Amino acid sequence: MRHFVKGNPDLCIGCRTCMIACVVAHEGRRIFEIDPDGYDFNPKLHMVKTAKISIPVQCKHCENPACLAVCPVNCIKVIDDAVVIDQTQCIGCKSCVEACPFGAIDMIAQVGTSQADGSKRVVANKCDLCVGTGDGPSCVRVCPTQALTLVDEDKMKEVVNEKRVESAKASTYIFEAKEEQ
Amino acid sequence: MGVPEIEDAKLIFNFGYNGADSHPIVQRRIVRAKQKGATIITADPRVTEAARIADIHLQLKGGTNIVLVNAMCNVIYNEGLVDQNFIDTMTNDYDKFVEVIKKYTPEYAEGICKVPADLIRKAARTYAKAPTAMILYGMGVCQFGQAVDVVKALGSLALMTGNYGKPASGIGPVRGQNNVQGACDMGALPNNYPGYQPVTNPDVQAKFEKAWGVKLSNKNGIPLTHVPHYVLEEKDPNKQIHAYYIFGEDPAQSDPDVGEVREALEKIDFVVMQDIFMNKTGEFADVILPSTAWNEHDGVYSCCDRGFQRIRKVVEPPKNVKTDWEIICEISTAMGYKMKYKDTEEIWNELIDLCPNFAGATYEKLEKLGSVQWPCRSKDMSDTGTVYLHKGKFTNPDGKGKFYTADWRPPKEVENDEYPLSFSTVREVGHYSVRTMTGNCRALRNLEDEPGWIQMNPKDCEELNIKHGDLVKVLNKRGWCITRCNATNRVEKGATYMTYQWWIGCCNELTIGSNLDPVSNTPEYKYCNCRVERLDDQKKAWDFVQNEYQDLRKRMGIRVVGKEAK
Repeated sequence: MRHFVKGNPDLCIGCRTCMIACVVAHEGRRIFEIDPDGYDFNPKLHMVKTAKISIPVQCKHCENPACLAVCPVNCIKVIDDAVVIDQTQCIGCKSCVEACPFGAIDMIAQVGTSQADGSKRVVANKCDLCVGTGDGPSCVRVCPTQALTLVDEDKMKEVVNEKRVESAKASTYIFEAKEEQ
Repeated sequence: MGVPEIEDAKLIFNFGYNGADSHPIVQRRIVRAKQKGATIITADPRVTEAARIADIHLQLKGGTNIVLVNAMCNVIYNEGLVDQNFIDTMTNDYDKFVEVIKKYTPEYAEGICKVPADLIRKAARTYAKAPTAMILYGMGVCQFGQAVDVVKALGSLALMTGNYGKPASGIGPVRGQNNVQGACDMGALPNNYPGYQPVTNPDVQAKFEKAWGVKLSNKNGIPLTHVPHYVLEEKDPNKQIHAYYIFGEDPAQSDPDVGEVREALEKIDFVVMQDIFMNKTGEFADVILPSTAWNEHDGVYSCCDRGFQRIRKVVEPPKNVKTDWEIICEISTAMGYKMKYKDTEEIWNELIDLCPNFAGATYEKLEKLGSVQWPCRSKDMSDTGTVYLHKGKFTNPDGKGKFYTADWRPPKEVENDEYPLSFSTVREVGHYSVRTMTGNCRALRNLEDEPGWIQMNPKDCEELNIKHGDLVKVLNKRGWCITRCNATNRVEKGATYMTYQWWIGCCNELTIGSNLDPVSNTPEYKYCNCRVERLDDQKKAWDFVQNEYQDLRKRMGIRVVGKEAK
């Protein structure tokens, strides 16, 4: 099963440390050393605050990803149980943004790139569960209230089993077969 | 109470306290308390994070705090939910208090504070019936013209239910800024020596005169918020302020009605600024003294729970940058009083020996225990400080707690036809205070930058034909600024909120400096009126914001590079 990061709105305090950790994980520690205006800030998850909810929204790493299905250049791949965009191959067509039902993908201008017309390369950007960065997912690691959980197969089974037990405990039977006359 | 105790509270009553934005690390303890089963009641005009996770959210109208507190006391009194034994044996002035709260029935209160009467009843019953209850209050209580009254009323709410002198109870001011408790503890107040020893007390005066070998004044000084008055309005040159030495503070950004503050700073003969980075006050300084940052020097901070904690130097400061205490020593010596210390421990030892309540908090103890909450009177290692106060006895001379509340005084400047919205300053997580520090942090600047936001209810936005993200002009009779509209259901219709750290979206252009609490002299940052105007030419407005910001940074000598250097 593909893994995903799930947030608990009862614990989230909306601080956005996860967003900074995401950028640090993908840009590297150089963001603390280089000029503040010299890089772009493109977190792969986004804090959403409604009247009643605060929670970061990010990719669910679907088992049958709509983004992967619609990508015309096959640059969305599954690596180590994560759905990952290969930004070097992305043509910026935005099909995946349209296909994703969760708003998990956005388009970003890449730092230090330049195309023929002088504009920056714009590519699709989303959570990759910190694949290849080592100590990930960074958002889960830094959250000060442990509001984020990396859900893997074991975790999923555990929760589903708990639910089944609860369901069994609550069961009553109303479908008595009527005796045939 | 101690901050760690928050996690053990059975009930937390957050009043005008938005921990998630002001102190995320404290909010973490509130969240843990909730996980452990605590009931949370939050009184706040906005849906803050603490309100969002609360069991009861009392969404009162700004500026009506005491009405709500009195009404809760009224319910507890009328329904017999008081701790009569505690009231009889441990307190004074209960009858006078009851006389005031009688009028504040939930129905009467609802008409003013807009919280449904039944919800007030529910909150009062829940608070009174909790085995132990803790009140946390913040700037939503303190930054009003009627502030100290509300603190005392909240204190009385805890008194009438016996919530003192035991763990995870009482009333806790979660202070506005880092180490503001320390500044007060160290006597950075116009009426106290270190350790809250009054300058008007002759015995105290004699003690400090002997220790320092100088004659000292027995007159109270001038509160910070009275400075503009003593510059702009005082006619007697002998009473006027002629010189202003400002350190670690940016009054041209942080004080209310910054237009008036600028006028005062222009007029003062001599201004010295001592800080780690350039700020708006620096524009008015005759002398700028660069000093070390929090991680470049040693010292002691006080937490809001009276806990002293050591801070340690972790990086070497740039050459020729001195610590605050070294600069003070050199200036004092140059002015004729030879002041010399070899390190912060020597200063600390002098200080604790002059302050009975701090006497036992040696460096050795701070190192060993991590935090020592005063009172800590004995140097013996067995005195580990005081986690919570008032155990079996209050600090008043007769050992009893004193009931007090007052009638409601509305805010001074309310909404009218010309300025139909209310306006309040708030905090946002990420940027600290006036941003002298965090504005220079790359990642935090990336998270939020100029010109900030004004939080508005979507219905107000619709009426003004403005959208989320639009630049808008916010104005009242004192001043104006340009900022972005944040359309959010977390605020009520008719109310607006801005954070006070933006140089361009500078909300203190609008705040009112003339309605101070009579006791604390704290300004009414949380209430004045305003109007929001739509800006038809958004591109022109953005250009204005960019140009103003770049000009300001250039004037301050901030090197402008990268994508903004056009």
